[in-house]
Amino acid sequence: MIASSWLLVAFPALGALILLAGGKRTDAWGHLLGCATVIASFVYGLVLFFSTSFDQASDTTLYSWIPVGALQVDFGLRIDALSVIFVLLITGVGALIHIYSIGYMSDDANRRRFFGYLNLFVASMLILVLGNSFVTLYLGWEGVGLASYLLIGWYQDRPTAATAAKKAFLMNRVGDVGLALAIFLMFKYIGSTGYAEVFAGIGDIPPAAITAIALLLLLGACGKSGQFPLQAWLPDAMEGPTPVSALIHAATMVTAGVYLIARAAPIYNLTEDGRLVVTIVGAFTLLLGSIIGCAYDDIKKVLAYSTVSQIGYMMLAVGLGPFGYALGIAHLLTHGFFKAGLFLGAGSVMHAMNDEVDMRKFGGLRSKMPITFATFGLGYLAIIGFPFLSGFFTKDAIIEAAFGQEGWRGWVFGGAALLAAGITGFYMTRLVLLTFFGKQRWREIKSSDGRDFHPHESPTVMTAPMIVLAVGSVGAGAWLILGDRLADFLAPAVGPLAESEHGVLPHAIVPWLTVLISALGVGLAWMLFGRKETAVERPQNVAWPVRAARKDLYGNALNETLVATPSLWATRFAVFLDNRGVDGAVNGLAAALGGGSGRMRRLQTGFVRSYALSMLGGTVLIVAALLMVRFS
Amino acid sequence: MNVFLAQQADRIELPAIDYAAILPMLIILGAACIGVLFEAFLPKHQRWPGQVVLTLLAIAAAGVALGAYVGGSPAEGTTTLSGTLSIDRPALFLWGTLLALALGAVLLIADRSIEPGGAFVAQAGIAPGTVQDRAQVGSTGMQTEVFPLALFALGGMMAFCSANDLLTMFIALEVLSLPLYLMCGLARRRRLLSQEAAVKYFLLGAFASAFFLYGLALLYGYAGSVKLADIANATAGTDRSDTLLFAGLGLLMVGLLFKGSVGPFHTWTPDVYQGAPTPVTAFMAACTKVAAFGGMLRVLTVAFESTSWEWRGVLWGVAIVSMLIGAVLGLTQTDVKRMIAYSSIAHAGFLLIGTMALTEDGLSGTLFYLLAYGFTTLAAFGVISLVRDSTGEATHLSAWAGLAKRSPLLAAVFTFLLLALAGIPLTSGFVGKFVVFSAALSDGMAPLVVIALVFSAVAAFFYLRVVVLMYFSEPAADGPTVSVPGAFTTAAITLGVAVTLLLGVLPAFALDWAGAGGFAIS
Amino acid sequence: MTPTALFLAQAGADATVSTGEAISFWVLAPIAVAGALGMIFARNAVHSALWLVLTMLSLGMLYLIQQAPFLGFTQIIVYTGAIMMLFLFVLMMVGRESSDSVVEVLRGQRLAAAILGIGVAGVLAGALTRALADVTPAPPLDPWTPEGGAAGGLGRLIFSDYLFPFELTSALLITAAMGAMVLAFTDRHGKTGKRSQRELVEARFRGEYERPSPKPGPGVFATSNSVATPALLPDGSVAPESLSELIESTSAAKLSGERKQVAGDTPQPDAHSLTGSEEQSEERENS
Repeated sequence: MIASSWLLVAFPALGALILLAGGKRTDAWGHLLGCATVIASFVYGLVLFFSTSFDQASDTTLYSWIPVGALQVDFGLRIDALSVIFVLLITGVGALIHIYSIGYMSDDANRRRFFGYLNLFVASMLILVLGNSFVTLYLGWEGVGLASYLLIGWYQDRPTAATAAKKAFLMNRVGDVGLALAIFLMFKYIGSTGYAEVFAGIGDIPPAAITAIALLLLLGACGKSGQFPLQAWLPDAMEGPTPVSALIHAATMVTAGVYLIARAAPIYNLTEDGRLVVTIVGAFTLLLGSIIGCAYDDIKKVLAYSTVSQIGYMMLAVGLGPFGYALGIAHLLTHGFFKAGLFLGAGSVMHAMNDEVDMRKFGGLRSKMPITFATFGLGYLAIIGFPFLSGFFTKDAIIEAAFGQEGWRGWVFGGAALLAAGITGFYMTRLVLLTFFGKQRWREIKSSDGRDFHPHESPTVMTAPMIVLAVGSVGAGAWLILGDRLADFLAPAVGPLAESEHGVLPHAIVPWLTVLISALGVGLAWMLFGRKETAVERPQNVAWPVRAARKDLYGNALNETLVATPSLWATRFAVFLDNRGVDGAVNGLAAALGGGSGRMRRLQTGFVRSYALSMLGGTVLIVAALLMVRFS
Repeated sequence: MNVFLAQQADRIELPAIDYAAILPMLIILGAACIGVLFEAFLPKHQRWPGQVVLTLLAIAAAGVALGAYVGGSPAEGTTTLSGTLSIDRPALFLWGTLLALALGAVLLIADRSIEPGGAFVAQAGIAPGTVQDRAQVGSTGMQTEVFPLALFALGGMMAFCSANDLLTMFIALEVLSLPLYLMCGLARRRRLLSQEAAVKYFLLGAFASAFFLYGLALLYGYAGSVKLADIANATAGTDRSDTLLFAGLGLLMVGLLFKGSVGPFHTWTPDVYQGAPTPVTAFMAACTKVAAFGGMLRVLTVAFESTSWEWRGVLWGVAIVSMLIGAVLGLTQTDVKRMIAYSSIAHAGFLLIGTMALTEDGLSGTLFYLLAYGFTTLAAFGVISLVRDSTGEATHLSAWAGLAKRSPLLAAVFTFLLLALAGIPLTSGFVGKFVVFSAALSDGMAPLVVIALVFSAVAAFFYLRVVVLMYFSEPAADGPTVSVPGAFTTAAITLGVAVTLLLGVLPAFALDWAGAGGFAIS
Repeated sequence: MTPTALFLAQAGADATVSTGEAISFWVLAPIAVAGALGMIFARNAVHSALWLVLTMLSLGMLYLIQQAPFLGFTQIIVYTGAIMMLFLFVLMMVGRESSDSVVEVLRGQRLAAAILGIGVAGVLAGALTRALADVTPAPPLDPWTPEGGAAGGLGRLIFSDYLFPFELTSALLITAAMGAMVLAFTDRHGKTGKRSQRELVEARFRGEYERPSPKPGPGVFATSNSVATPALLPDGSVAPESLSELIESTSAAKLSGERKQVAGDTPQPDAHSLTGSEEQSEERENS
């Protein structure tokens, strides 16, 4: 079973090959093939999961990829608890989203190519999680980056899509450089990049090198997972089709960073500083993401920042080391369910609303789209941590573990996680209220392309995956966390889950505190957006959203003084930081390179005498430098 | 007079010649001479088939001779012809690489299906723009002298890679350069641009050769010999002034770096790549790079290893400048041939990193990188020659917009090649970068590797820009057409793509070959 | 070639320079440098070539003084005698007057070139001075020994140690010859090339052209030697074939008038009318 586990990768890879190379001949049945390959992998994964014991990792070497001198890179797969969990997540959620895409992309002339890219993504992602060396991981890492890049730019006629794809690519490359450097460092100090050899030899190398490797790996993880300071590409990536947002930019690819750190647990276990930086990055990002999530009216961007924030939770968890690896993975899994469900719900809404994304143009959709509303509602309840749904178990576990730290760390990390839970309740409630409740604002307006709105429930091929994901959102958390089922299962791969003894807050209090804070956020949103809407005048023209926003935000003096103004400022500041600071840095870098390129280009005059001059200059420099090195 | 008579009396001993070892090179040079005779004695209509058959046969025969020799050759290599040629494992690997690349390039040169008569002008002597020139545009003739010229260049490159003294190296340098200068000026379309490229290449090449020669003279003054081994011995003794050594080394490197199109000696590269006929560009880009870095590896390893502490810092700077120029200037290029030219400058920087390492891993990594890069760039230029409009090749990037819609296969192939140039895993480019960088890292060049990674990230951006352009733009209404390539071009592109993929997936055998042994010293 | 470097390297280092040698050096060396500078700065290509001849001659003399007679004479015979004369032939053929524009359009090019040129010269001169100061002088060469710089020693080297580079040079020469053919030779006998005179005559008489004889040239009169002037047939009428179609199309109006005039069928003033014809006066104004 394990020996032929390469079939897991081979199915979708073959599908991608057939779909991309087959051309128009495969148009008729391409989408079915695309689904079939992923389902085949999923079934294989299930069989593997139930037929095998994962007490220890089993490496299978497929062939020797780069053998040169001391360097030995084998292309092999590692089947252990961690990777098999990811295989199930990727192929399971992937299969659902493939099926959903049949309906969602039914109007697209290039649907076959879309499925080809999706299959390519699934194959790359499986290589990423199944590889048994960091170089194999890097192969999958680049593969998913490429697929993500191609899919973000799917709507090629929109310049924003092209820009977003470019931005995603650039920021990911920054992370990739970090990962590549970490791999080179491993090779330098350990002489191998295989997991087994690296984890065996990591203890013998200088502590500074361990920390450097850990930080470089973190840089790679930040790039892929949209963590501070490389988070800005992820919201822009929502320019891609919604199934892509659900699969790649919510459920699987962006969590690769968390996987990387959990996989490198033996390295992080040795470096306290490295773990601390991971935790800080996670805590900062989860606050940043949730605050910015309050500011957007674009339903997908809100969900994207929510993703940034939720991955922040996972990073925070894995940064806690043995206290949190299993918790981070657990949250990753439940998040995979409910966030994918939320995105598919958002996609279903957009599908019904002429691809409109502005929530202020929605409203009162619950009666028009009951199934979407129900599944979305369950996902919503899961993400805000409604008691006994998925998010409640996994997020609270993380907050508990954060408060379980000693001293200032417990207060800071726990506080940040708790606060973000409240803000999550706020922006998610706002999203649901604006979309599904209140007046049916879309009756009075037309969509951006001038059509009337005729919302309708999506076809079964789309709602069925949403229902399945909703079931997962409800039950997965309890199933994974209660009785430490996941933690025990993962123990051979990432070590047993540690329980802290000297936390700053007792364990019993935290869950209820979290529920309380979340409820506060929900209530605040209800006051601002749910209760007040009847008092809002019916808007007369298209420009109403602006005025309505102002009335909503400034209508209640108490809210204004106590909550709204500070949070507004915080929101503005966070948005500013995001747009100017980070985006500015990236765009500025690109502009600087472009400008520098333009200036340097002038040296290439086309005159041979000026070329000769530059050669002469180079010669003087080289000879003078050589002589100076020798005689100085 | 008596002394003279006495001299004539004692016979000159002919140096020992290991014919089996140098047979591949002799076949190539001999075939080039036969090609010249073909030009003189064959009627015009028989020249093209005759030359093509001769050239391909010669390359195949040289390959066979090489294969036959490698099996029984001594592992530590051997020198022959009084030590002027060193036939060792790196030299044999480079010969194999050169022969394989030249096979692809000759296939591109021989192709006449894309354009009637091929990419070469019917009569180069006719001044561009004249009535006769307009008349010959439609003719199906070509200057079949290109084939012997290519063989001479190839022979020069092979001699260059195995030259064990600087004088032989200089002559080989000229033998490989002179035919290239000529071939650059023989384009059928845009002849003025082509001739301008040839003149520029010639002038700057002569300039660089002068530096090489001056450096050679200074090194001779230092060591009293032009043999690499003697120079190495001289650096071991300390009683001589190092000034001559380092001034000579600097000037010598200028000549070598020029051939490898390493910045800041790269200035000819974009203009010449753009102006030369595309098959010649492919030949130059692939083979000249191999020869130049092969020579550089030998010179630095054999002659200057003991002084590496002094010159390495300087070459660090050169490598950084080269990567900077290639990566940054590539960003704003609008012509796809120029873009690949800047990419080759950036790659020259990466290659220089491996060349400097002077370890076994560095040697084998650089050799592997050369092999990988050569085939990728060969196939890339093959693809470029297929995208055409009414005026010939449509090399402006705007013409490539939406190409995936017109020709998905071509766009997919070019995307793959660009990904290989960018160094994405499962392509040969990744493995090449990986082995070179890890060799450099283990030789203590960590900062340089970091810089190289950053620049390769920057460079990846402009490759991806072309991919985006091909896939995500609407094709222009009057855009170019994609020619259906004939058997020759198809074979060349297939060869390049197959090797790029093969070396990305199964690099083990090539790495084994590249790491089979070091340089033979004496 | 290799002995050259050896001599050069040792020239400045020989501590025991005889007076004659010193005088020769101080005479020849400035001339050589002046010649080199003159070659660069002369505006006329022929002058440049002659300056270069001066430099080469001086160098040849220096080689002779250094006891390298073969090299010295080769320098003079081959470089000065053959190569430079060939250069001069070409220059004379192209035309002594034809010279490239010397206006520099690139800003800062000359300044930078001057600075870098002096830089290279300075770095190399400094390095050489320093290097040659502490070289132990080699014993003077004896051209009558096999190791000396004479023809016999060189020949021995060429056919033993440097056999391969020497043979490889042939590839260079073949390439150069073929390059010259490729770039300069045009096939005049092919379909597109010009025909030889004999071929043309034969073709004419075979009837490939409309007439066997050449077309009449333009007329040359006391008033005009322009190609635009038509030739006259013996009867005084214009030979239509002598009119260039190109020129006719440019000033057809003028030519038609002239043709009429020359042919004599212009309307003359009518003796019976009191005034000249309006048509004629208009035509005169036009011409």
